[in-house]
Amino acid sequence: MRPESEVDRQPASSLAILEPLARALTRSVAERPADDGLFGPRSLVWRVHRDRSFAVAGIRSLMVQALHPLAMAGVAQHSNWEQDPIGRLAATSGYILTVTYGDTASVQQAGARVRAIHRHVNGTDSVTGSEYHAADPALLLWIHAAMVDSIVNVVQRYGRQLDAADADRYVAEMVRFAELVGVPAEQVPAGVAALQEYMESVEPLRATPAALHAISVVLDPPGLGDDMRELWHDIGQVAIGTLPGWARSMYGFGKPDPELMEREHVRQLIGALDLGYESLPGVMEARERIELRMRQ
Amino acid sequence: MSRRRTREVIRQSRLGRIAPLARLALRFGGRYLARSPQLLFASVERRTELRHDLALRSAEEVAEELGYMKGVLMKLGQMASYVDEDMPQTFRAAMGRLQHNAPPMSPELASSVIVDELGDAPERVFARWDALPFAAASIGQVHRAITKDSKAVAVKVQYPGIARSITSDLRNVALLRRVVSAAFPGMDVQSLIEELGERLREEVDYLLEADNQEYFAQYYEGHPVIHVPQVVRELSTARVLTTELVSGERFEKILQWDQHERDMAAETINRFVTRSLYRLHAFNGDPHPGNYLFHGGGRVSFLDFGLTKRFTDQDLVPLVEALRCLVIEKDGECFRSALEHAGFLKPGAPVPTETVVDRFGLFYSTVLQDAPMTITPAFASAIVRRFFDAKGPLAPYSDVPRTYVVLQRINLGLYAVLGSLNATANWRRIGQEMWPFVMGPPSTPIGEAEARWVHKRAERELAATR
Repeated sequence: MRPESEVDRQPASSLAILEPLARALTRSVAERPADDGLFGPRSLVWRVHRDRSFAVAGIRSLMVQALHPLAMAGVAQHSNWEQDPIGRLAATSGYILTVTYGDTASVQQAGARVRAIHRHVNGTDSVTGSEYHAADPALLLWIHAAMVDSIVNVVQRYGRQLDAADADRYVAEMVRFAELVGVPAEQVPAGVAALQEYMESVEPLRATPAALHAISVVLDPPGLGDDMRELWHDIGQVAIGTLPGWARSMYGFGKPDPELMEREHVRQLIGALDLGYESLPGVMEARERIELRMRQ
Repeated sequence: MSRRRTREVIRQSRLGRIAPLARLALRFGGRYLARSPQLLFASVERRTELRHDLALRSAEEVAEELGYMKGVLMKLGQMASYVDEDMPQTFRAAMGRLQHNAPPMSPELASSVIVDELGDAPERVFARWDALPFAAASIGQVHRAITKDSKAVAVKVQYPGIARSITSDLRNVALLRRVVSAAFPGMDVQSLIEELGERLREEVDYLLEADNQEYFAQYYEGHPVIHVPQVVRELSTARVLTTELVSGERFEKILQWDQHERDMAAETINRFVTRSLYRLHAFNGDPHPGNYLFHGGGRVSFLDFGLTKRFTDQDLVPLVEALRCLVIEKDGECFRSALEHAGFLKPGAPVPTETVVDRFGLFYSTVLQDAPMTITPAFASAIVRRFFDAKGPLAPYSDVPRTYVVLQRINLGLYAVLGSLNATANWRRIGQEMWPFVMGPPSTPIGEAEARWVHKRAERELAATR
């Protein structure tokens, strides 16, 4: 007495890809933090960084960041990301979440660890022939700005309400984020306009073979079940759609279907993915801890 | 002698059959009349699992929590939760988990819905209003109140914006299809989505639920053990449903009652489903344990008519035929042809009739023998496993036609409920009382009380037509 279609499909472990990300969240949001950390529950940073559109913002960040040949070379030549791309993504995400929601001691520890890693990352980019150093404030600023720009862009478009004044405040609050890895505060854009200006001033940007390869892995990571691959693929398309035109053409991506980019549709997509994420052990509890502290 | 021991002795004695009946009659008389609305109001306890500290404070927060596919997928999880066995732990886990955790609305937000729907603040619409909900509902929450004409009522308040959001989510069939095939590999995705859509569109309209509940309430009025709360029409809209308040024990609680009480509760649930199907041609969709309240002596209140399916005579004919052929006539060919007629089995399938009887017969095994039978949790799971058995000899030739999809789901849910109660009864005799082709005599004390009710009902109807 059962319908016969698709009977022999194997149950897929669809959510496995999200597990490292879930662990990163639960570890970063302590049950008993010693203090409110760098930003505090009233900050825009707290509000914006728990937005469910963060998956899209994250992919867009990586795509923009990778367009700086020296930043990309540092990752390509020194990181083992390719053996475990999701693990690498989770590590970055854990860092962002710890710096956001962690207490002061955890934040300082996380910052010190990243600065220590960066000290040993240097070399010569084979494409441009230029030397790079991961501790170079100019490179770190690029990484920071590309991320903040992506978050503002995506959250304004697909997240909960973030008006112009709040976006400015958010960018200003995030200066401390850049400072933590070693960018002098006075160099960091402290408003949306300044951020925009900075993003347009950086050159030369280009999609090196390393960048193209890295992004192809981000858009289609290994080990996805069929069903999850489709969802992930759609999220990737949306992220591509939010890129500035120049970035899209560097990668050779076309303009995505406007229907795909509609807010309602994207929110549904994010909702479906988020439901899977939230079902993983600890995620809902971590989100509740954040919510309750923000309500106090 | 302990109370339990006394009860045992009475049960086994010759007069034992009368005792529960007498108890029934006694309790029934005093059930609602003795209670003032204030006492009833006070006796309904707030459920402790509601997270008021995380209450949703705006329509935006509601959308965040339940909109954008979440509510729809959670509902799907609820529908599929009856069929727990052998399903992969993917999105389904998410659906089941979140279902119990949707936070309530803040008092202010719930109040704003009442203002929108009933035209004024709840404190002015009602004589008494509890600003904190006492229970969660799938797309809303339930408040206690006392009306201006002194009725204790339960007011179900829908989350604002959820109807629009669900409608929009259901339109995104492509995405639904993806998630559904991820969560339920091996299920007929198309029919599941269609069924989900239909059910949800009905569920968001509380006026439809009010109609259905009234239909049941009217039919069961005065029934000795089955109670359906009355709808208060003038305080109900598409988003607010006001019904008579009921106080009783929850399912988890009665699992600790003695077996005799559990058997009686199970008998009533079984009678409600059988009678509703064969006499009312309607099925109250959701055999979720949370939709019952128990009063002892076999009395059960049935809540939540958001998922109701009505059948036409034509829909029922093949079901009745299949039952009659297998159970009464014991005629395999006749049974097979009824299943084919209903669309459960492809005509001309190259399978011997004995196999058909053997495989499908399991679904009738509680009524095959004229003898007491215990429905154990193991039996309930065996039924579910058989239902979803993709490798059995009949799998290539069997299907569940759309008309009966809900019915099948409910049947599985019903077995799960009866299984948790570990209920024993002569289900065959009980069924026969209501099967249109048998019309058997009352077979239990509850059956006798019911027969008197049927008789009075008929007299009333006859008087009305004269």
